[in-house]
Amino acid sequence: MTRTIDLPNLSSLYRRAALGALKSKLSSNGSLRGLTVEPVVARHPGISEQQVEDYRRLFAGEAFDGAHRGALPSVLIHIAAFPVQMGLMSSKDFPLPLLGMVHLANTVEHHQPVMPNTSLQILVKAQNFRAHRKGTQVDITVDVYPQGVDVDSADQSELLWSGVSTYLGIGTFVAGKPEGEQSRRGQGGFTPPRKTAQWNLGAGAGRDYAAVSGDYNPIHVSNLAAKALGQRGMIAHGMYSAARMLEGREPESAGHRWSIEFEAPVALPGTVNFAVEDISDGTQRFTGWNARKNRRHFTGELILP
Amino acid sequence: MADIRDAVIIGANRIPFARAHGAYAKASNQDMLTSTLNGLVARYGLQGAQLGAVAGGAVMKHSKNFNLVRESVLGTPIASNTPAYDVQMACATGMEAIGSLANKIKLGQIDSAIGGGVDSISDAPIVVTDALRGIIMEANRAKTTGQRLKALAKIRPGHLAPQAPGVNEPRTGLSMGEHMAITADQWGISREEQDELALASHKNLAKAYDDGFFDDLVTPFKGVDRDNNMRADSTMEKLGKLSPAFGKDLGDQATMTAANSTALTDGASAVLLGSEEWADERDLPKLANFIDYEEGAVDFVDGAEGLLMAPTYAAARMLKRNNLSFEDFEYFEIHEAFASTVLAQMKAWESAEFCREKLGLDKPLGTIDRSRLNVNGSSLAAGHPFAATGGRIVATLSKLLHGKPGKLGFISVCAAGGQGITAIIEGR
Repeated sequence: MTRTIDLPNLSSLYRRAALGALKSKLSSNGSLRGLTVEPVVARHPGISEQQVEDYRRLFAGEAFDGAHRGALPSVLIHIAAFPVQMGLMSSKDFPLPLLGMVHLANTVEHHQPVMPNTSLQILVKAQNFRAHRKGTQVDITVDVYPQGVDVDSADQSELLWSGVSTYLGIGTFVAGKPEGEQSRRGQGGFTPPRKTAQWNLGAGAGRDYAAVSGDYNPIHVSNLAAKALGQRGMIAHGMYSAARMLEGREPESAGHRWSIEFEAPVALPGTVNFAVEDISDGTQRFTGWNARKNRRHFTGELILP
Repeated sequence: MADIRDAVIIGANRIPFARAHGAYAKASNQDMLTSTLNGLVARYGLQGAQLGAVAGGAVMKHSKNFNLVRESVLGTPIASNTPAYDVQMACATGMEAIGSLANKIKLGQIDSAIGGGVDSISDAPIVVTDALRGIIMEANRAKTTGQRLKALAKIRPGHLAPQAPGVNEPRTGLSMGEHMAITADQWGISREEQDELALASHKNLAKAYDDGFFDDLVTPFKGVDRDNNMRADSTMEKLGKLSPAFGKDLGDQATMTAANSTALTDGASAVLLGSEEWADERDLPKLANFIDYEEGAVDFVDGAEGLLMAPTYAAARMLKRNNLSFEDFEYFEIHEAFASTVLAQMKAWESAEFCREKLGLDKPLGTIDRSRLNVNGSSLAAGHPFAATGGRIVATLSKLLHGKPGKLGFISVCAAGGQGITAIIEGR
């Protein structure tokens, strides 16, 4: 059954999460069997033109003038849906602690164009809890529908946008421990592609993205908090990288798919080498990396319709 | 419409180019351009002359210099009823100004013109942050004191940091040197050939000065009488000791140093053009004709083409239109933004694959004879005050071709934003 909730307020969720981080959410040793989280759906009043403008200015991107380009960039829809994701992940039956959760990957199918000031329904589910050598992985699926559709019986054709965010709850072994799995992040012999751009990110890059997205996760905006959460200092939002990698490349008529897989976090301030490669007609591969440490930050892909 | 007539290059003037934050540190763009125009006026007796137009520009320009060229003209003895306007095409600004003025002369729209450019790194426009500007403008729009105070209260310390003009390509975040390092790597340009080209530039420029070649092309300014970036005593050994400055993430494959990259410099240049009749009436020299020029631009943003490779495309179109090949040229002036820029362009023109796939040609454009290339030095030695480089090159090439009627000279100038200009000049 799907529970209808009000659009959650991110800052109060983060405050609650900070308190909750002190106590384990696990009442028992936990097991994969029977681990279910009730899906939630929330209504979103629509992405405002002001937020679109703020987003555009942050990424120095294309003008969403409503005449030549009106459809919203994919990451802005993720931003709209993010509070609902967070609402679900803060709910009592969600077994992993919210703070310190690591964003591993995102895949998105952007089925139809979404315009500003269009109210939306955002359906969020937690699925596929699975073991990881450092804790427990989970897929948070997000389906964005227009108003007036019954999300429990909706047809795939009514879907505007769907995404899967994969997270890792470090240190919480809800699904047990995997056997013999090697580190995915070994990156032995990473040979960087030829760079096509360089992102020069200032210390305020996390705060700037937070101001546009509302995602004031302390790990992105405060060095002290980031250290408390196990980082050396502030790191960039993963979706900031996704937004920049996609900027200017998404078709107005949608129908495209993209994905991003995060590896080493982007420390702030910092410099990211970026490369785009044409893999085949309509498919581009993206790589972001730290040239000094020869470590990959992310790989991504965009497949045009 | 009138028949197409010759656009004659009569003469030129520039001030010596000076390394940034040095001799011209306290000179503004307007100071340098005015002084350059004054030198040209003195050399060709243009006091009180009403010219058809004066055009030029600066790449790094203060907002107060919205009418930089007009204001400079008003500071000279050129008649004040001479129209003047600013042009900007990054490092190709001077070439664009001169080329478009030549076209107007050819069409009979004007009989005389001055084209040129100026740039100062030392007096670069420093501006406030976008955030602070937004707040100040909001306060400016406020109707009440309360509203104004409310706006100004938003100012935070971080807003106050001055902003220097960006040196990176806005769409890639890469500096021009980093872009060039990628292209140099793609074309396999070696450190040694870059250093050789840089050394030749210094030697050639120094020899030209010693031979008096620049005596009637350069006017001293602020106590400087030669381009002070020039190192006549440089050697391959000295150049070989420098560490890479760009493309450092290529590791031991990095080839671009401070010596085989152009130094940041201040300076200005101007070229006097006219119709044959106008020159004859005033008994002025006729060095060369400005035959044609072509602009080019490439898709560099995702690396499909190198940032500074646009002239290779412009050259192909320009040569085809004029039914010419490289063998028809006496001299080649390829702007040395970086030694590797010159070398990469030349390798591209030699490459059958590049000429076929990218330029759509049956056969390569061919090899440029090194003994005809930048024979009196170029930007690596002279320096490159962005908008002033076109005027320097046109002046040098015109004088080289003077007295060689019908002999042709080729110009290539690359520019930021993946653009560039090529041109043809004919001696007379």
